Amino acid sequence: MSSAPSNAANPAMSMISRINIQQYVVYVGFLAIFLFFAVVLKDSGFLTVRNLSNIVLQTAPITIMAIGMVFVLSAGEIDLSIGSTVAVAALSAAVTMNAYGMIAGIAAGIGAGVAIGLVNGLLVAYVRLPSFLVTLATLGLFAGVARSLTNLRSIPVTDSTFTGFFGSGSLLGIPSLIWWTVIAIIAGHLIFRETKFGAHVLATGDNARAASVSGIPVPRIRLAVLVISGALAGLAGLLYAGRLQAAKYTLGETDLMTVIAAVIVGGTLLNGGKGSIIGALVGSLMMGMLNNGLILMGLSVSDQMIVRGLIILAAVAVSLREKLR
Amino acid sequence: MLIRNLLNAALLSGAMITAAHAQTVGPAGETATPSAEIKLSDSDIASLKGKGYKAALLWHTSSDFINAVSAGAKDEFAKAGVDVVVTTDAGFDAARQRSDIETALAAKPNVILALPLDPTTSAEAFKQAVTDGTKLVFLSNLPAGYKQGTDYAAIVTDDLFQMGKQAADALAKSIGGKGKVGYIFHDASYYVTNQRDQAFKTTIEKDYPDIKIVAEQGISDPARAEELANAMLLQNPDLDGIYVTWAEPAEGVLSALRGAGNTKTKIVTLDLSEPAALDMVKGGNVVALVADKAYELGQTMAATGLKALLGQETPAFIVAPALTVTKADVSEGWKQSLNRDAPQSVLDAAK
Repeated sequence: MSSAPSNAANPAMSMISRINIQQYVVYVGFLAIFLFFAVVLKDSGFLTVRNLSNIVLQTAPITIMAIGMVFVLSAGEIDLSIGSTVAVAALSAAVTMNAYGMIAGIAAGIGAGVAIGLVNGLLVAYVRLPSFLVTLATLGLFAGVARSLTNLRSIPVTDSTFTGFFGSGSLLGIPSLIWWTVIAIIAGHLIFRETKFGAHVLATGDNARAASVSGIPVPRIRLAVLVISGALAGLAGLLYAGRLQAAKYTLGETDLMTVIAAVIVGGTLLNGGKGSIIGALVGSLMMGMLNNGLILMGLSVSDQMIVRGLIILAAVAVSLREKLR
Repeated sequence: MLIRNLLNAALLSGAMITAAHAQTVGPAGETATPSAEIKLSDSDIASLKGKGYKAALLWHTSSDFINAVSAGAKDEFAKAGVDVVVTTDAGFDAARQRSDIETALAAKPNVILALPLDPTTSAEAFKQAVTDGTKLVFLSNLPAGYKQGTDYAAIVTDDLFQMGKQAADALAKSIGGKGKVGYIFHDASYYVTNQRDQAFKTTIEKDYPDIKIVAEQGISDPARAEELANAMLLQNPDLDGIYVTWAEPAEGVLSALRGAGNTKTKIVTLDLSEPAALDMVKGGNVVALVADKAYELGQTMAATGLKALLGQETPAFIVAPALTVTKADVSEGWKQSLNRDAPQSVLDAAK
């Protein structure tokens, strides 16, 4: 801190300070945490291939939802309803699949996500209600729907094609959950960075009035990002159902905060105008690695929560400080 | 197919407790072995020490009960020189439980003590642990289709039926065997509370013809207990007693009664809690707390896992006893259940 005043005098230092460190916080943080666990836990199985691939597999649904959240936050909105969308989608898929087969089940799962996204999107874009309140309400509403869908019962998913495709299987030696993650990240990144739609999302989040004046269909953008988020939460529900070979009303209940933390740590602004799909991926892997490493360190559950909270706080603090300049 | 799967799942979780026998029996009708009978012998301990064995505790949530079970398990493991290398809390989330299991397996534990969240979702989740040859001892619940001996060592449970029954007996006694009672049950798919709640209801209906359950209310969020109790009392101001599914929501019910100036309606609930016990020893609405021997349950789980590790046969189904704690024996009750002294405030008030 004491070196700060000398920055202006030292051209090299001032050049370094001009580089937006915030953009790289998530990568540096990820690397630092990885190295720390690699050293501390070298005898506890952290570095085994099985454990590292577990981290990627476990975070797949979080990463998928984080992609949707990047779109929503970048457009200046938020989607809190993903927590219960996951369960509604997984249960709809499981029940429909057991009665009408796999294709119908997949359609029901994704369809449930899209439908919830449409409800959110129409209320936000055309009734012009704040997304925070709309999705807070639908979070509770659809949690209730998930509970009543099967009267709290867990539904087994026995279709082995489905469970292979969505959670337990592999293709060319690579687990299906990794395929889903890779495909979703590439597609998300390309749409976000390379298409007109992506630019419109950012422009809407940056300054909705200016975007509207320059001819961007702001309501349609808002509707679209919430539908994307709902659809991806639906996909996350299918991945959970495939992985657990069952669906339950509690699926995804605890994921909302992890998704938001992953996205923010990954460099997406909470109030719109800036986002990063790759950052969200690394943020999500960082959350998964943190859970994994803290458990393997043998910490008590309370200590795990405290340390995880402190690290997230540190990461967010660094990225927000940069933005205030 | 769907219906059959549902039925199977329902039968499996229902099979562990058979109300008709008024006692707790195992998933395949096994008779219960009392937890006090499972002890590590000196030669067991000698052959376990110095082997570098490791254990993992994979819980479904964090609570006072789980703390006591963990303490019992850790003390028993320590006797045999076994390290507890991993402790997790799945927060009732089936997907997180699966992740916890995978993470724990990286530390290569020899014994896992766990509460599977429900038979359906945990069947796939614990598969890798079975494949790895880890000795599994389950608390209260069993993954669907698992076989004792090959897939897991034993199920250890608190005597869920007895807990519900003793709660019914205690409430009945406090209101003189007749009157109107309210029934606040856990409205979630969670084996432990579901069984205890059902045992309470069955006992009242079968054994106490003069007691009527006039109000039923499910609860999923304990923080809302007070408003639910207020609504129940508004519609039934003359309730003689209320059963509350566990201590945390009972505290909310208690504050509703206090707010209404009601000193007549009796409360019986499950598990030991300081605020509820304090009310009880001061002669308030709470008349009994039904608990289980949680610490002993933890010791038994650990001992069972270690015996399985030594290749010994273990009983399939082991039960830790329930106990009813009243004003008279509150200090003794805390020791028996949690292996520690009752909170100072409770001891002071009991003097």
